[in-house]
Amino acid sequence: MNGLAIRAEGLTKRYGDVPAVDGLNLSIPAGSFFGLLGPNGAGKTTTIHMLSTLIRPSAGEAWVAGHSVRTESLAVRSSIGVVFQENALDHRLTVAENLRFAGRLNGLSSREIRQRSDELLELFGLAGHRDRPVAALSGGMRRALDIARGMIHRPRVLFLDEPTIGLDLPARRAIWRHIGRLRASLGITVFLSTHYLEEATDCDEVAFLSNGRIVERGAPGPLIAQLGRCIVEIETDRPAELAKRLEPRLGPVLVEADRVHLRCEDEPGALLQAELASLGSAMRWRRPNLNDVFLWVNRAQTDRRQAA
Amino acid sequence: MIVRPVLGVLERETLKLLRERGRLVSAMARPLLWLLVIGAGFAATRGAGAAEYQSFLVPGVIGMTLLFGAVLAALATVYDKESGVMRMLVIAPVAHHWIVLAKALGAAAVAILQALMLLALLALLGYVSTELSIPLLAVGLIGTAFTCASLGMLIAAWSRTLENYATLMNFVIFPVFFLSGSLYPVQMLPDALRLAAAVNPFTYGVDLLKHAAIAGPSAAFDPDFSAVLDLAVLAGFSAAALFIASLRFSRETAYEPLVHRLAGRRGE
Repeated sequence: MNGLAIRAEGLTKRYGDVPAVDGLNLSIPAGSFFGLLGPNGAGKTTTIHMLSTLIRPSAGEAWVAGHSVRTESLAVRSSIGVVFQENALDHRLTVAENLRFAGRLNGLSSREIRQRSDELLELFGLAGHRDRPVAALSGGMRRALDIARGMIHRPRVLFLDEPTIGLDLPARRAIWRHIGRLRASLGITVFLSTHYLEEATDCDEVAFLSNGRIVERGAPGPLIAQLGRCIVEIETDRPAELAKRLEPRLGPVLVEADRVHLRCEDEPGALLQAELASLGSAMRWRRPNLNDVFLWVNRAQTDRRQAA
Repeated sequence: MIVRPVLGVLERETLKLLRERGRLVSAMARPLLWLLVIGAGFAATRGAGAAEYQSFLVPGVIGMTLLFGAVLAALATVYDKESGVMRMLVIAPVAHHWIVLAKALGAAAVAILQALMLLALLALLGYVSTELSIPLLAVGLIGTAFTCASLGMLIAAWSRTLENYATLMNFVIFPVFFLSGSLYPVQMLPDALRLAAAVNPFTYGVDLLKHAAIAGPSAAFDPDFSAVLDLAVLAGFSAAALFIASLRFSRETAYEPLVHRLAGRRGE
């Protein structure tokens, strides 16, 4: 399989004339952590559903663990684990019974199921809850169990579709600890989709999806570094006006709601700080992150569309 | 390889049944009500011996338990679609027609379990003869249960929600029960009703149970059809129903609508 866990060539899904995913090319090395980022409606879930053989591509082809998603759907499904946005659990069964059902569906023996359930429940901090019904678990615990459910057959590729959506911060952190441990102990490929961009900082590679197309891709570090060392945010009630005034002097600016963003090579000096602060109701500066990459990519897209 | 997934579905159905005490109690109460109360009432109005008519009713109420048990268990597939369970099923490395078959087997199994419990109860009450034919009873139970489960899967494949549950009860389960030979011999029915009973696959299931002579060979009413014809109809109907349900099911899963609902939102 050439060391690639996932390869896609021109993968496309159209609904009527509207492309939900448009000519996607991917090559994701085995063992890596890949993040597909973008707002709701960008086509992330459709991409995951095509790669996991649940929906059929309108055009193009993809191979997961070396198997074609078009012609070898069963082989693809036995080498992947999928964690959907909503739990794939039976709420009336207990934690252990859910894992047993998922294990059976994946053709495991009773012994394999018992052994792997023990390992996974330990890893996900659920060892004390095996006989509780799922309905009695917290949202974070259900999500952890759902990931364990997706891992019971030891897939080589794990798809996580917005794994932390709807969870509070401690639960989100716990989920990321579990996923980190899972990657460290099993060396699986993880394909993550999320719109919480800060969660993708640990990815080996990320791709930004917008209207079904990849508009930027690369390792998070270099993507962030190319924005410069510092982002200045000025809060104001007339952002457009301020943007127009600053742009000729300080280079490209970006308006996000009531804020004007500026990119700086370095932290602003005392004089500039004082001047910028006097322009708006509040001013702060910070290191750039993946959210900034996304905002600036979007700005470039908008410029290009307006030019066209 | 396919054995374990099918076993998994069977296990889950059984667990659910054993956990839902209410379902078990009503599965026992409903047929006993027909047999002891309505059976006695009918017999009184007809002027025939109450015991004789009740003996006639025994295969009918066992059929009833199989019908309700299997159809309701198969309809729980609609609940699976609404909850997360169907996500587990569609992402498993199992061809979708096997899922339909496994669900039908599971529904049939829980229906047979209920029928066996009812049979034990009836035996205690003295309604089961020692001269019954065990092989015919086994074939009758399995054939009827599987046919009803297939009927349930056929309905489940087209049902989007469980909101139309009462409609299904009124327009499917009750007519199937009343328009069969469960409560009266088919040859005694007026022409129109006899025709309806003749195209109702459940009629042949109950008829097969009558062959087993559960309440004894001296029961006054004979089966309406031959056991071979009964079995042929049951097998033919089950195969056709499961085939159509599988087509519908795989079209829905591999081609979007179900997947979109399972993903929990439309639009993307």
